[in-house]
Amino acid sequence: MSIADQALTEDLASRDDMIVCTGVSKWFDDFQALKGVDVTVKDREVMVVLGPSGSGKSTLIRCINRLEVHQEGSIFVDGIELTNDTRNIERIRSEVGMVFQQFNLFPHLSVIDNVTLAPVWVRKKSKVEAEQKAIELLERVGIPEQAQKYPGQLSGGQQQRVAIARSLAMEPKIMLFDEPTSALDPEMIAEVLDVMKDLARGGMTMMVVTHEMGFAREVADRLVFMESGEVVEVGTPEHFFTNPREDRTKLFLSQIL
Amino acid sequence: MSDVTMTPTSPSNGASNRTSPLQWVRVNLFSSVSNTIQTIVFTAITLGLLRALLGQAFSEEADWTSVSTNLRLLMIYNYPADQIIRIWVSAAVVLLAAGLSLGAWKVEPGYTVGRLGRHLVGLGLFSLVTRLLLPVHAPDTVRTWLIIIGVVSLVAGVVVQRGDPDGDRVMGFGTVLSGVALTFLAVLWLVPFGQYGLVDGVLVAESGTTVASSTKVPWTVLLIIVVASHRVGIILGRALGRSLRAALAAFWVVGPAFVIFVILRDPAFDWAHVWSTDIPIAAMFGLGGAAVLYFVAAPGKTEVARAVGAMLFAFALFNWVAAFFGWYPMLQKVRISFLIFAIVVLLVPAFAGDRSTRRRVAGGWVAAMVVFHWLLTAINTESTLVITAPPFLGGFVLTVGIAYYVMLASFPLGVLLSLARTSKLPIFRVMSTGYIEVIRGVPLITVLFFFSIMLPLFLPKGMGISDLAAVFAGYTVFSAAYMAENVRGGLQSVRRGQYEAADALGLTTVQRTSLIVLPQALRVSIPNLVGQAIAVFKETSLIAIVGGFDLLRIANSTIPNQPDFLGQKRPGLLFISLVYFVFAYSMSKSSQRLEARLKDAQAR
Repeated sequence: MSIADQALTEDLASRDDMIVCTGVSKWFDDFQALKGVDVTVKDREVMVVLGPSGSGKSTLIRCINRLEVHQEGSIFVDGIELTNDTRNIERIRSEVGMVFQQFNLFPHLSVIDNVTLAPVWVRKKSKVEAEQKAIELLERVGIPEQAQKYPGQLSGGQQQRVAIARSLAMEPKIMLFDEPTSALDPEMIAEVLDVMKDLARGGMTMMVVTHEMGFAREVADRLVFMESGEVVEVGTPEHFFTNPREDRTKLFLSQIL
Repeated sequence: MSDVTMTPTSPSNGASNRTSPLQWVRVNLFSSVSNTIQTIVFTAITLGLLRALLGQAFSEEADWTSVSTNLRLLMIYNYPADQIIRIWVSAAVVLLAAGLSLGAWKVEPGYTVGRLGRHLVGLGLFSLVTRLLLPVHAPDTVRTWLIIIGVVSLVAGVVVQRGDPDGDRVMGFGTVLSGVALTFLAVLWLVPFGQYGLVDGVLVAESGTTVASSTKVPWTVLLIIVVASHRVGIILGRALGRSLRAALAAFWVVGPAFVIFVILRDPAFDWAHVWSTDIPIAAMFGLGGAAVLYFVAAPGKTEVARAVGAMLFAFALFNWVAAFFGWYPMLQKVRISFLIFAIVVLLVPAFAGDRSTRRRVAGGWVAAMVVFHWLLTAINTESTLVITAPPFLGGFVLTVGIAYYVMLASFPLGVLLSLARTSKLPIFRVMSTGYIEVIRGVPLITVLFFFSIMLPLFLPKGMGISDLAAVFAGYTVFSAAYMAENVRGGLQSVRRGQYEAADALGLTTVQRTSLIVLPQALRVSIPNLVGQAIAVFKETSLIAIVGGFDLLRIANSTIPNQPDFLGQKRPGLLFISLVYFVFAYSMSKSSQRLEARLKDAQAR
């Protein structure tokens, strides 16, 4: 372990836990998608989850805001445990933003209405206040001029940036990204990654499932490598890309790099 | 011949895209031997059918005065002649709102001058062909008029088309509306149809007056109202925008009830009772309810709202059980109000918000209670009208009234049923599936009989139900099952990602359903829902079988039993077919326009 790594590890250890998964298991019928996963994400940390498709990385982050229900183990988000209690789920969801591979913007609402919807109805903000905030956020993701358009009129990259703005409008403590650039044309990937890098620099706690190795190397504080529902290895980018411990990690990286 | 198909006929550049009519005919109708044969065969069949239809319409036995004389009967049945001003006022109210709505929502038909030209040419050709196919018994006036109409429209059509060679001069809705109104008025003022009329069910000769002459002036006023209110709607729409549209939407929910139960029915309110009972009850629910709602609609009061709502709901359900066994007396409308209030309290946390939102919730509740209690009181009060036959609604007014309210009531019921059917909770799913499948497995006529004959036997003691209300209830229950299936189709088309995105933002189930899922599902369901609305409109003719006097019953049995027109069924049936067709076709056309407009708005 290098000195820089050690410093980071100590720094992280001193911060609060934002997400704590302990022994999380999940079955889809007979298929076990998660096999006792232990992961901890610290405050203001950017954690990138890597792994081949079907390794359970999407399932893991979908469990964190209860889009999937885990059957064993426990998940704490900002100190609140995820159980069947609807109130806890609603509270966690309003504090955790999520960006999907397929954007999932609401096609019947204009861009600005997409962004203000949750602040108005969940946070009970006034319409005016929510719209001001929405314009600010759209400027931050670089598309204030598209506010009155409908999602169907935007490019994929623009749609994904609106989706990020929509999540940020709830002022979340944590942002989850589920392969945010996988459905994009290559020329649009950069614009979305730029927004995400910007967010990371701003100190947002982020958990990102992605295949963008450049992003992982540049932005991530720590990487998690998963395979067939298990966490194989956790470490800093430097550790991962220079001298990974496990053979499975080496094989995966050699295939993808 | 076959060479023609090979030549490119529609070059892609816009300027030479227009083909002359002759070219069009050659390319589309006679491009090949088989195409030519098809054209000839199907033209022959069409002309044959038209000829047969004309033969029916103008056969020796067909007496069209049976229709023109009975126009009033067909429209309003036995409505007292001295009260007929009420019908005109009702029509004026509805048309005023229609004009304002068309203006406020900026409905544009997208009708170009070029298309008008083509339609006129089509009308002209059709009139001339009809003239050629007329049977020998057809009256001479019809022949002359067909030729006049044919020639005039042909010439006008060609001239109009010249004025818009590129087919891009769009006419505003106001222009189209004025054109239709003027045509209608011209017919009304020029053609003296109908020699006498019906007064209180007795056929009387009114020498010197015709049906046309007695309705000329009111119709003129009505049409001026439509055209003017459309203009006003546009202007007001610009100034007031959303609030005008909200007011109009509210009118379309309660306005027609106002028309039917107050203007047409003219209830004789017992004012002493109204002041001592009805108004205090309405005030208690309205103001007390508003205070409670204002309190629980504050952010963070979710738990309180749920607890209060649950208690109220339990109390309301208990009231209904008590009513069934007759444990203690309570006005039916109090029971209904309690139930509605409980549901609203349960739903309100989902739409809680800042003070302006809370004020809107409270204000909306007061308004809803005022309308609701006033309407219930009006319905439960005897009518002052002296009508010889029992139903005060009949003819076209009955058809439209029942159809409109069945659509309006069965739509929310259908949405609820479809949501229940796709719910995760098995109890809702089983109940709603059972309801839908049972109703869809039973013919409408059976449901109507059940409600009009058997329902009164099942009702609690002391509660009656009028024939009209029974028909309305039965038909609504029936139509809701079909509406539910149509909406379910739309619900299935909403992608899973939409649910997940809504969940991930922290929306509650009620918010997710009402703000995200339903708006998308309903948009997809529009064609099917309009199909159902058209079916509802047409099948009102079954009311005849359970005692209503709708268009069909009048045409099929009332008119043929009049001494002057014994056995005259054909003209009446042809006439009401035309009426049904005109309305059903316009509904279908406007739904197509609505769909196109919504699609445009989303993905331009």
